[in-house]
Amino acid sequence: MTDTDRLLTRLPTEMGGLAAGPVERLEHDYLPWEKRCHALANVLDVHKIISTEEKRRGVESLGAEIDGKLKYYERWIVAFANILFQKQILTPEELARKMDEVEARFEAALTKSALAGEARGHT
Amino acid sequence: MSEQHAHAHGDHPPIADAGDGMPGYYEIMETAVRELLLEKQLFSADEIRRMLEVMDSRTPALGAKIVARAWVDPEFRARLLADGRAALEELGISFFEDTDLIVLENTDKIHNVIVCTLCSCYPREILGLPPDWYKLQPYRARTVVEPRAVLAEFGTNIPDDVEVRVSDSTAMVRYLVLPQRPPNTERVTEDELASLVTRDAMIGVTRIDAPKEKEKSR
Repeated sequence: MTDTDRLLTRLPTEMGGLAAGPVERLEHDYLPWEKRCHALANVLDVHKIISTEEKRRGVESLGAEIDGKLKYYERWIVAFANILFQKQILTPEELARKMDEVEARFEAALTKSALAGEARGHT
Repeated sequence: MSEQHAHAHGDHPPIADAGDGMPGYYEIMETAVRELLLEKQLFSADEIRRMLEVMDSRTPALGAKIVARAWVDPEFRARLLADGRAALEELGISFFEDTDLIVLENTDKIHNVIVCTLCSCYPREILGLPPDWYKLQPYRARTVVEPRAVLAEFGTNIPDDVEVRVSDSTAMVRYLVLPQRPPNTERVTEDELASLVTRDAMIGVTRIDAPKEKEKSR
């Protein structure tokens, strides 16, 4: 046995039997985008574009640091993007451009609603 | 409430927005992935919308109805235990994924509890989306090695002569616990029975108490 054997015998997401503290009964209402992300996952599975098994493996292969730092649906959407790149359905460049476009669209909508607010006398 | 932030860049931890203000980095990524796939006509926007509607219709109340039906209808219970997915599809409950459903019956001698040590597999078709604690490390790590201690943290003390069975879900096989019908419910209607069934009892971390005797009003 070595100090590193656990890295080989256990997936980063495999938690069964690890030491852990008490169960805190945390719950939150799912955010709209989290529900959309889940609906996207289900539709991708229906169309056999990304199966549940591929999704699980995709999340696992993000590695321990991402697993620890990203929230649940953040890991999902990053895993979907990686799988879609691997399947050559999307390219990283395509996604980067689209994200810029989406961000600009949201910013424009926010600016517009802020201006409309000022026009109505709100500050 | 979401924290205030002026803009969203990829270089700081995303803040989940509650609806107003700029969406976070990952929400932008979700929107971008979805729109690109729609542009490529791999599915339609309508399919996403319909899926969201179906998901909203799947809550523990649906699971409670199924449990109450199983309590009052022995033939349905037998079909449910033999092939959970087929019995539910018979009721018009569609499955989103290519997964089997195994229904585990609690008895005087066996108490079942479900977990997913690898990720967050859960009978979503029936109970909706899982609570956070189900997806977090303490529950996933400990339930398979010290289930009685975990159950005690939920206030559930299982007598020593009752076997505790832990079922670890996978991407292919999901579980649902069929709780024991509480005592003194022989004269209770199916709808009233359903109102006694909780999500946590269908996960197996709690049991269902007998209904409280109605206070006699003077």
